[in-house]
Amino acid sequence: MTAASAGFGAARARTRRSLLREGARRHPRALFGAVAAALAALAVLAVGFGTVAIAPETTMAIVLHRVLGLETGATWSAASETIVWDLRIPRVLTAAMVGAALAVAGATFQGLLRNPLADPYVLGTASGAALGAAVALLIPVRIVVVEFGLVHAFAFVGALLAITVVYRLSRLSAWSGMTSLLLTGYAVGSLLAAGLAMAMYLSGATLRQIFAFLLGGFEAATWPRLAIALPLVVFGTAGILWRARVLNGLMLGEEAAAHLGVDVRRERAILLALGSLVTAAAVAVSGLIGFVGLVVPHVIRLVVGPSARAVLPLSIVVGACLLVLADLGARLLGDIPVGVVSALVGAPFFLFLLRRAQSGYEL
Amino acid sequence: MTDLGVTVLPGPAPIVEFRSVTLAYGRREIVRAADLSIAPGERVALVGPNGAGKSTLLRALTGLLAPAAGQVEVDGHDVADFDRAALARRIAVVPQLAVLPFSARVEDIVALGRLPHEDPIRGPRPADRAAVAEAMDRVGLGRLMGRDARELSLGERQLVLVALAIAQAAPIVVLDEPTVHLDLRHQVDVMELLVDLNARDGTTVLAVLHDLNLAARYFPRVLVVADGRIAADGPPADVLTAARIRDVFGVDPGILWGAPWSTVPADR
Amino acid sequence: MDASLPRSIPRSRFGTLLAAVVLAAAAAGCGTPQSTRITPQPGATTSALPPSTATPDPSPSPAFPVTLVDDEGTEVEITTEPERIVSLTPATTEILFALGVGDHIVGRVEDITLFPPEAGPIPEVAGFGTVNVEAIVGLEPDLVIAGGNFFTPPDGIERLRSVGLTVLVVYAPDVETVFADIELTGRAVGRADEALALADAIRAEFDAVATAASDLARPRVFYELDATGAIYGPADASFLAEMIALAGGDPITTGSPDAFEIPLERLIAADPEVILLGDAAYGVTADAVAARAGWNVMTAVRDGAIRPTEDVIITRPGPRLGEGLRSLALAIHPDLDLPAEGGG
Repeated sequence: MTAASAGFGAARARTRRSLLREGARRHPRALFGAVAAALAALAVLAVGFGTVAIAPETTMAIVLHRVLGLETGATWSAASETIVWDLRIPRVLTAAMVGAALAVAGATFQGLLRNPLADPYVLGTASGAALGAAVALLIPVRIVVVEFGLVHAFAFVGALLAITVVYRLSRLSAWSGMTSLLLTGYAVGSLLAAGLAMAMYLSGATLRQIFAFLLGGFEAATWPRLAIALPLVVFGTAGILWRARVLNGLMLGEEAAAHLGVDVRRERAILLALGSLVTAAAVAVSGLIGFVGLVVPHVIRLVVGPSARAVLPLSIVVGACLLVLADLGARLLGDIPVGVVSALVGAPFFLFLLRRAQSGYEL
Repeated sequence: MTDLGVTVLPGPAPIVEFRSVTLAYGRREIVRAADLSIAPGERVALVGPNGAGKSTLLRALTGLLAPAAGQVEVDGHDVADFDRAALARRIAVVPQLAVLPFSARVEDIVALGRLPHEDPIRGPRPADRAAVAEAMDRVGLGRLMGRDARELSLGERQLVLVALAIAQAAPIVVLDEPTVHLDLRHQVDVMELLVDLNARDGTTVLAVLHDLNLAARYFPRVLVVADGRIAADGPPADVLTAARIRDVFGVDPGILWGAPWSTVPADR
Repeated sequence: MDASLPRSIPRSRFGTLLAAVVLAAAAAGCGTPQSTRITPQPGATTSALPPSTATPDPSPSPAFPVTLVDDEGTEVEITTEPERIVSLTPATTEILFALGVGDHIVGRVEDITLFPPEAGPIPEVAGFGTVNVEAIVGLEPDLVIAGGNFFTPPDGIERLRSVGLTVLVVYAPDVETVFADIELTGRAVGRADEALALADAIRAEFDAVATAASDLARPRVFYELDATGAIYGPADASFLAEMIALAGGDPITTGSPDAFEIPLERLIAADPEVILLGDAAYGVTADAVAARAGWNVMTAVRDGAIRPTEDVIITRPGPRLGEGLRSLALAIHPDLDLPAEGGG
């Protein structure tokens, strides 16, 4: 191939890619549908694979039986049914829910704070949840209500308390709204992290537990936990989706948003609350999983642009896909922490995208 | 003296009215008992030294600052009574240049102007998209369609923001020092655009300008704001006298009326 | 549990009691729990152990079904003699083999210092601090024996129970409970008699050491767990401290039941006469210790009384504990007059 034709081929490839991107940009609904379909396929795959080999037909038969009551004539052991129905399916569904929640929250905070480096944990939610969980683990009492133990409850409450403190404190500062939030979030987060370090220092054997929580994972996913966390996530996400307009309006700053008809003070509080609710629910169920909330919205923006109307719904399905995939990988690689896998998979892909970003949508 | 004037007919109720408005930040009073009345279709420039209160007046108009005393009215209603979206449909403010946190195309920025009109659920409709395209054409940004807004020069970005305000399709357009970063060519472009808006659409234009020459050339009515008061209000020839400029700005001007201006060739 | 990491905190009396009360209250109402557990006596420093109070039943009633109370106070019902057992602590693996049911083990926890070697081929279903619930469920065990005090993650135990598996949790914060756990495990797998015999045999070894060391002076002993960064040693009232006391030494501890770190100053002030290297398996030698800055003022270093120990058998609450005590006693008193193993 001569240099000229090689160049031409590369140009053609670039054109194909940018045409694809243009298509994706113009038809976000179609893109959403495609990713949702991929999510469904991934979920099916994830339920089919695990440490114990179960034939795909058996898996399908078990699901059909439990969901629709269908008898297919196949037989399976009680162990297989337990594994598929009580272990894998809640796990996969929880991974999808948490991925969606973190990605949407990340997109929300990035838009709200006008900061591309924001993630769901930037305002102290992570430190609050971690400290809450550590405190719960240090209390030598085990209380479990509908499979929600002290750890989950305290993590949830800790996350929300942290954001409330940050919000209240930020109102007192002289800085403008978002800067103040960011700075206060950083300060409070550091304080809570210090508290966490102290708790870990005092913890002894529970240190391992605390670390397990911090690394995040879906081993403890159960139907009741899913049933409690899911409505919170759905409610919060719906509320955020409803406010896509507001997030767009904030793009040029608070004053510009006010001039465009956004009630900035009220909407800021509402979006903060919804984003934190969703994050807290995710963290309570699965610990701290990083990377998803920060990177997924950016990946989506690289393809469809910054409008929240496209970014938010796509964050839901792409985030879910990423974590379902990461959980599957984590399980197959010997139960390593999910956060590690999501970073290992996501980061190189993200770097690849950065290199190839055409002008039009860069970071 | 202007040669592109709009005759303001008496009769219709003022579209903007300030009645004895005092504006303060905390205890610090910026504007004291200001009275102002703007009729629909007027083109008004606000000039004055830094810190005189020009921007503060604009903020009161757009509902960002509640008056400590007096009323600010738009279309006969107190500004405080409007909900934000409704006010945004009446008044379009050309935003300040801001750092964009994410990459965005030029048309995405201009599309923000349609926010007050957008359906919260369904989002932009064809009418919105048409308004965006039209606004961009009007400002002469057609060739920038599809470009990353962050790559533009300051002048181009300012024009994008003006297009945003035009897309907002509001009867009042407010600009706060829109020509700060612009070269001479772009300054004239923006001014001519405002004149066009005013003439063709009957849009009321209110602009804070630091450049007295632009104010004098393009605005049939000039308000001089100094020390929190409206020191003068009227045609530029009457208002921008040597004595007043010396008084307000502390500078001894040389004034040349009637100097020939060359018009910018229409080659957009 | 072996001391590859500093030992877990001994749960406070109150905490365990409260947990037991809460769990018992939350349980769906049962009668008085059946328990033949011997009440543990914490921090025993006497060298004589109370004899076993349970005697083998002359006319054995059917061993199953049986309801046992595990070390967390949970009532566990075992309906039939287990054929497929999962062992989630290395000590339990050893105990099961010693009781003769090693071939019933279908899954075990990962163990670097595996014993006995026959346990090698058994699939690993849990690691250090992790448990693979799916793999365990897939093995369809009828009994899972897990480690308390966070050795097996409580979430994992809960998960296994929630999918219907029978899980017995064992945790021995002191020597007496080791015997109780051996007997508990024996009853759980239908080898109660063998368990009693095993426990008695170990007690006999303990008695032999107690007798041999009774007249000897008690040197101050520091048992080093790790000194690569900070210095780690036995906590107050810990299993290890008790073992040292039973072996005829006066244990130097960290000063608190929750801390495993001992500041060098405290150690120097305590002036150990014997230093035992629990980290000998990691390559720490007597010469290396003697060369450490500031350590040369200690009596043990001046006398050259720095001896390696096989940490596993000393701290693992399993069948080799008697052997562990012997080796510990010999490390403290090298001239100790002990009858040959297997006797006494």
